[in-house]
Amino acid sequence: MLEIKDLSKSYGDVLALDRFSLDLKKGEVLGLLGPNGAGKTTLISILAGTLGDFTGSVTFLGRNLFADRELKSRLGIVPQDMAFYEELSAMDNMLFWGGLYETSRAGLKRRAAELLDLVGLGARAREPVKAYSGGMKRRLNTAIGLLHKPDLLLLDEPTVGIDVQAKVSILDLIRDVGAAGTAVIFTTHQLAEVETTCSRIAIMDHGRILAQGSLDQLVRIVGERDIVEIMGEFAAAAFSEAVQDLTGERVELLSAGDGLASLAVRDTAEIPKIMDRLFRRRLAVTDMKIKSPSLETVFLKLTGRTLRD
Amino acid sequence: MRRLLLVLRNDVRRHLKSPAAILIYIAIPMVMTALIGIIFAPRTEESTLPPIRVVLVDHDKNLASRLLLGAFDADEVKKMLEVTVSDEAEGRRRMEKGQASAIVIIPEKFTLDLLDARTTVLTVVKNPAEQFLPDVVEEFMNTMAVMLSGAVQAFAAEARGIRAMLDAPVESIPWEALGPELGRAQKKIVAVRKYLDPLLIGIKAEEAKAAGAKTLFTQRDLFSIMLPGMAIMFLLFIVQTLMRDIISERQDGKLRRMMTTPLRPLELVGARLAGGWVMGLAILMVMVALGSLIFRAEWGNLGYFLLLAAAASFWTAAFFGFFSALVKNRNQAGALGAPIILAFSLFGGSMMNPEAMPKAFKAVGILTPNRWFIDGAALVRDGRFPLAPLAVLTVSGIVLTALAVPALRRKTLV
Ligand SMILES: Nc1ncnc2c1ncn2[C@@H]1O[C@H](COP(=O)(O)OP(=O)(O)O)[C@@H](O)[C@H]1O
Ligand SMILES: [Mg+2]
Repeated sequence: MLEIKDLSKSYGDVLALDRFSLDLKKGEVLGLLGPNGAGKTTLISILAGTLGDFTGSVTFLGRNLFADRELKSRLGIVPQDMAFYEELSAMDNMLFWGGLYETSRAGLKRRAAELLDLVGLGARAREPVKAYSGGMKRRLNTAIGLLHKPDLLLLDEPTVGIDVQAKVSILDLIRDVGAAGTAVIFTTHQLAEVETTCSRIAIMDHGRILAQGSLDQLVRIVGERDIVEIMGEFAAAAFSEAVQDLTGERVELLSAGDGLASLAVRDTAEIPKIMDRLFRRRLAVTDMKIKSPSLETVFLKLTGRTLRD
Repeated sequence: MRRLLLVLRNDVRRHLKSPAAILIYIAIPMVMTALIGIIFAPRTEESTLPPIRVVLVDHDKNLASRLLLGAFDADEVKKMLEVTVSDEAEGRRRMEKGQASAIVIIPEKFTLDLLDARTTVLTVVKNPAEQFLPDVVEEFMNTMAVMLSGAVQAFAAEARGIRAMLDAPVESIPWEALGPELGRAQKKIVAVRKYLDPLLIGIKAEEAKAAGAKTLFTQRDLFSIMLPGMAIMFLLFIVQTLMRDIISERQDGKLRRMMTTPLRPLELVGARLAGGWVMGLAILMVMVALGSLIFRAEWGNLGYFLLLAAAASFWTAAFFGFFSALVKNRNQAGALGAPIILAFSLFGGSMMNPEAMPKAFKAVGILTPNRWFIDGAALVRDGRFPLAPLAVLTVSGIVLTALAVPALRRKTLV
């Protein structure tokens, strides 16, 4: 239902999207995972029609997304900003934003009440939104995007800065929406979220997709190896040098930084050997963790970055 | 159109939900009018306050003290204060007998000090046996002191000329020789008479009496004249805050969200301009109603006034729509908006009577909505149709709209 082909967008010298291509089917929930600055918001903004000056094409429901105004009402957008009126109640916000789409007022009211119940705001729907907590506002922000039953829902970092309950409630909602047949793209830099919510995961950085597939498919990229994370008082260069003679078929240095390095090993038997090299060079180790392959290790391998920001 | 109306209705509802800013902007002009009117306006005939008896001791016996005496002699002041010129000892005797509420002592060299811009002190001796009346005298003298100081500074050039001649004993001053100096001062006095109210109304009353005429100026007239100027000034403030929505929504992402919906940029721009217009008009009419209720102000033919108010509000919405499209962000809008409104109000006659302004001010005033609205309101009050003000506000409003619409549309593209 959605085909994005060779979408490129630059801000001056910065190439925010680099021939980005993606296909999405009905009911598919795609988690778009990428560090800050990867181009996630740029992509969502172009699809939402609020950002111009790009190249490439997007076909939605068989038609050119940018040429057909009708398609706007088939698209639901949940922006990264809390974009609603704080002085109005949740219900009034729903009626306003929903009203901008062609919907009958009675139907809209019913749908708004349903959705507010669904995201747990039903009891406080008549209160001015400014009295809400951050999590409640996020839930409202999400619910507004669903009012007109879109065929495709785009959410930009819908879970940023909220408590666990609110996060779970929003992720449940996304899953339900997908199960009901709406295609969803949501961006995040939180690995755990895509692991539990998505039918497909795409990892992007520097404006393009680096890898995509189901969780299993992605994890296989790093193979059946364990990941060893070592913390200590060492410089990146010294660490690389110390383990140099070990690396090869059985040990791979994934990343080395000052005080933190990670390696992939075929066998845990390699770990004492690594420690031995470090002790010989008098590199102090303060902590060590062994992890089974996960999305995080895939991400680390592909982007060379940890998902801290 | 359906969406345009939806946005418009939502904007009205929003501003009704948090009306604090608008209420304050409605209240300020009312309070200001009330204060100015109560302090400066001549008392109405029904005034029931007994005259307050004051003994004036004049050690100066010079130009300024005579001006002060003249002020006390004005009809309106006379109704409030009954002044006897005497010496301090006599004043204290009267006070003890309860025949005087206060003694006002004008010090020696009062005139010379003023002309040399040295600080000088007017002493008000209050009768300790009385509670309220002596305070009124003190307040009155405070006001006079402020006005006199202001006048001396405004007439600094003339003051120097007069000062040169006053070194000689008063008795030997060649009053005829003062002619050109006094003549020039006189012209300025006439020009700023209205905004240095109490002092200069006093002088005016004296002149009027000499000619055998009677002042017909009542408090109610004063309110009727002042309110339109105040109303247009605060209309500018209110509509500016309304039109700022489009800038802040651009910053906080609401505009972007709107543009993801089927709402067209032109519909949004239309809704915002129409909203500023309609809400501005409504608020203006609330001020009119309050003015009538509180101050019994007269507006003239309400239909004419409604037309004038609609034109002024239309102009204001278009102007600040265009303004909002030009500024970068909310802070810039705030920083630039207030000075523009204050300049409009100063040159356009919201702060002082246009009649009393220097020529250059008057010329600039023609470029402000304040001036046209105030002139229009005066015409309507006189029972005439405000054709010129209506035409000017409407035509320039249309021009501003033509500028604002494309500029605002560009702002909706993020
Ligand atoms: N308005 C802009 N002007 C200039 N550069 C921008 C602008 N918006 C984003 N960028 C740059 O484009 C890249 C992608 O940004 P963005 O799409 O916001 O990433 P993400 O949402 O994944 O964090 C970043 O390098 C960012 O600095
Ligand atoms: Mg982003």
